[in-house]
Amino acid sequence: MNEWEHHIEVQELSTWFGKKQVLKRISCYFKDNTVTAIMGPSGCGKSTFLRTLNRLNDLIPSFRRKGIVRFRGEDIFSPGYSVYNLRKNIGMVFQRPNPFPMSVRDNITYGPKLHGVNDEDELDDLVESCLKKAALWDEVKDDLDQPAPNLSGGQQQRLCIARALSVDPPVLLMDEPVSALDPISAGKIEELVVQLKKDYTIIMVTHNVQQAFRVSDQAAFLYLGELVEFDKTSRIAEAPTDERTEAFITGRIG
Amino acid sequence: MVTKDDSRTQKDEVASNRIVRVKSIPQRILDALTDFRDADRPSRIDKLGRVGLLIPAFASTMIIILILTFLWYEAMPIFADPAGGPGIIVNPTWDPSRDSYGIAIFIVGSLLCTGIAIGIAVPLGLAGAIFLSEYCPGRLRQPLKMIIEMMAAIPSIVYGLWAYVVLVPYIGNTLAPALQSNPLTAWIPFFQGETNGLSLIAGGIILAIMLLPTVVTISADALQTVPRSLREASYALGATQSETARKITLSAALPGIGAAVILSLGRAVGETMAILMVTGNSLQIPYTIFDPVYVMTSIITNQLGYAFVFPLWRSALFAIGLILLIMSICFTITAKLFIRWGMKTRGMTG
Repeated sequence: MNEWEHHIEVQELSTWFGKKQVLKRISCYFKDNTVTAIMGPSGCGKSTFLRTLNRLNDLIPSFRRKGIVRFRGEDIFSPGYSVYNLRKNIGMVFQRPNPFPMSVRDNITYGPKLHGVNDEDELDDLVESCLKKAALWDEVKDDLDQPAPNLSGGQQQRLCIARALSVDPPVLLMDEPVSALDPISAGKIEELVVQLKKDYTIIMVTHNVQQAFRVSDQAAFLYLGELVEFDKTSRIAEAPTDERTEAFITGRIG
Repeated sequence: MVTKDDSRTQKDEVASNRIVRVKSIPQRILDALTDFRDADRPSRIDKLGRVGLLIPAFASTMIIILILTFLWYEAMPIFADPAGGPGIIVNPTWDPSRDSYGIAIFIVGSLLCTGIAIGIAVPLGLAGAIFLSEYCPGRLRQPLKMIIEMMAAIPSIVYGLWAYVVLVPYIGNTLAPALQSNPLTAWIPFFQGETNGLSLIAGGIILAIMLLPTVVTISADALQTVPRSLREASYALGATQSETARKITLSAALPGIGAAVILSLGRAVGETMAILMVTGNSLQIPYTIFDPVYVMTSIITNQLGYAFVFPLWRSALFAIGLILLIMSICFTITAKLFIRWGMKTRGMTG
């Protein structure tokens, strides 16, 4: 039996960039093997929240935070906690597709190689399985050595998802993964997200309410750094308890 | 304008386009003039602007062609003469008083000096660039970069003077004896030989110092243009800062860095003043790093003043100049090809 209940738990998390407070005392947890959508208007701190979960904000010198984020029961900000291990376990997909300027294959094998997988057959299997999970295998299997930036935008984003899956993280963070894509590619990725939740805990940031309702099991509504509402998506869609949430999902703010 | 017959089919039209492209030069000028006469005021300004900009653009390409032609013309006598011929490139004996104009030692000298310089400057410069771009705190980066850029502005004769009073004595009095007496290095053939410090290695080191700012700044710029999103993607996979710098940033910036190196090669081969002062200028093929060398630029500078004595002598010096120019053109083309290859394998456009 695990000592922890959920992969990620957040307790009283506040963050600042310089003097500007971005997140205000957020507490929540994310159910395993579900999709959680984090909604909110631009600038409400959605991305900051996501990037705090895998400590990517640490790279920004003016970043400060208070409060606790637990990954598998351990405080990720405690001294001596391996941030590299954390990021290996929490994959991330970014807003704009950002494939590495190398071949499709090398994009997938980059992560596993970092973490010590060097066996060629194992890597080949990994490339195939990751690309299949990301629904890209059939489109690229004949030319795995082509440079990844030559793929279309939607393919690039699915490659980025495959890349994130390559180190087998139990948790996947997605930062508006479809907002830079055309509707058809976006639809494919939404389908993919729903499929992936069988094996992964997905936390997805979006400012598109309809998308959040289509894809997610839980939804969080962030407004000006505050966690206004966090509940089952169906419940929020039907009857938001807070008027700000209602204003947002009906399109009056955002 | 060329009027087109309406009855032409599309195929003819393609053909006529081809004809339009090869219409005679006077016709082209005339067309442009009638166009200009018929144009309204804004288009006239545009047309004038185009011509006004064409001239400097054209002039700068003409200059290199003119220089090449002029060097070729001056170097022709030595290549045509039985005492010279194309064989001078591989002939190591330079003795104008005996009609012997072999320039191989100068080519070898230049290439060795350049090789040593690149061998020192590239690893050091790349390390500096990676520090500047990846590790340096933001507040320190600009001042550091400015100082490095200032290094590039120091006149080469000043580097030469410094090397003459500091570097050369150091090599003669300290470095060479130390390397030759240390049992670890004493047996290495390249470290043998008496020296007063005026040597191949002195030339290589001073060249390396002169190339460093170019390599550092261009490489640092190339590294800086790698988008932050790529680094973040790498960090998000659990990569450390050094893994990200080596495997992602450096790899993505490689076309730019390679071009910087190849272009600085061209500069190294052509460098004159500093190298003239520290290499000893002795007419021999160097066998160790402590042997003196004579490089291509030095022989031209040293002997042009009295080379008029024999027309062939003068011509041979111009031949050296021609070879220098061809070498640097080759470096530039290599740089271009390298960038193109690098961009293609990385799927970048540009």
